[in-house]
Amino acid sequence: MRHLLLPLLSATLLAGPALAQTSPDTPNPDAVAPHPWFRPRHLILQTAGGMGMVAGGVGYSFLRDRTEADVLVGYVPKKHAGSTLSIATLKLLYTPYTVPLGEKLELRPLTFGPYVSYTHGIVNDGEEDQYTKGYYWFSRNTRVGVVLGGRLTYKRPTLPSGRSHRVSAYYELGTNDLYVVSYFSNGNFRSLSPMDILTLGLGLKAEF
Amino acid sequence: MAPSSTFSSWRRLCLAAAASVLFSGCELLEFSPNDFRGPESLTNLTQKNLDKLAAKPLPPGDTLRFVFTGDSQRFYNEVEALVASVNQQPGVSLMVVAGDISDFGLAREMRWVAERLNRLTIPYLTVIGNHDQVGNGRASYQQIYGPLNYSFVYGDTKFVFVDTNSREYNFNGRIPDVPWLQAQVQNLQGARRQVVMSHVPPQDSDFDQSLTPAYTRTLAEAPKLAFELNGHRHSSSIGQPFEDGVTYINSASFERNEYLIVTLWNDANDEPQFRLKKVSF
Repeated sequence: MRHLLLPLLSATLLAGPALAQTSPDTPNPDAVAPHPWFRPRHLILQTAGGMGMVAGGVGYSFLRDRTEADVLVGYVPKKHAGSTLSIATLKLLYTPYTVPLGEKLELRPLTFGPYVSYTHGIVNDGEEDQYTKGYYWFSRNTRVGVVLGGRLTYKRPTLPSGRSHRVSAYYELGTNDLYVVSYFSNGNFRSLSPMDILTLGLGLKAEF
Repeated sequence: MAPSSTFSSWRRLCLAAAASVLFSGCELLEFSPNDFRGPESLTNLTQKNLDKLAAKPLPPGDTLRFVFTGDSQRFYNEVEALVASVNQQPGVSLMVVAGDISDFGLAREMRWVAERLNRLTIPYLTVIGNHDQVGNGRASYQQIYGPLNYSFVYGDTKFVFVDTNSREYNFNGRIPDVPWLQAQVQNLQGARRQVVMSHVPPQDSDFDQSLTPAYTRTLAEAPKLAFELNGHRHSSSIGQPFEDGVTYINSASFERNEYLIVTLWNDANDEPQFRLKKVSF
């Protein structure tokens, strides 16, 4: 049980935010097998999905690889949004099925979960006393949303440590709280189509 | 052999899928909800509508009729109903929208409204509202619509649209840009009357109260001013709150399912006159 619960709790509550502040892309050169529980399981490179023009990060997996917690830091240049944005995202993903497609390939047709993102660098983010309490009922910099996607994995030879060593390409269709509100409120579900509120993210995950 | 051929066929499939997604759904690849990239057809709409207006000139001396509404934010069904109704109106030259196109200042929201307003058979022009400036909305508005302060002359009428969303600038003392407004209203550019439109009315607490006297005086001194048009309050009203001879007309929001048709002409003394007609849709 310790193997299941401890990493899940620690990683989501402690390690994720802590690592996001250091430089998560550099694996610890001193790490030896078996890896300490706090060492990330995979590296992530993603574009779009509301998480940055480019976003990089690390992730952990638990429960026989079926659950992942990913931490991403994304970047949007000024020319695309009016100001340079950095976006920190915490994503939880659940993968119920893995379909083997041969010796080297496997497909995870369904991966889904919630995310929360915080955007730094927004132009009109609200200063103290700028607005009366509740003037805008929604946050301007924090979005919550859901993603649903799939993943194709290329299996590389197992590492000497016994850990699997895979590279995956994934897509994620998602949406966020404000788009969902736009879709459902005021009877607008008759007016907007589901396509209107969808976003698409594409990315790579490499286990190391 | 089998795995590698499986791999290459999967790779081909993935490439094809990725390519089709990239080409058909570029807008799906959103970098952030504040990302304002989008199709060229939904950018620079103010200038595009001004070009359309210029292509249908009103002969000098003709009475002008236009539709006045505001606050379309998140009322997408109502936008469609409004467009259908306005398209039935004969003799209307343009529509003006008194701001709050969006609710959250997001580019997608502005496009959802713009896509629907683009089905109007007449040109439409907008002024920026406070909700359009939330987050990075100001940049999105500039990308999709255009300038925050602008003016144009149509027929005998000069229209001056000014950003009065002072609270969004944390009351920095420069919004509304009174010197710009003064320069605009003092030069009629050959027009025989003028109309000013902004989102937040000067009697509202979201208007920079340190600028209210200068703003209202500018309007009171503006030659041939027919009235000022506002939104923000989501209920229609008409009056002279500053008792200075300037009429302020507020629009209902789209959810109230009504708009005004404004008829504007000059009387025998060359003074501007107007008539309002409320239309329910």
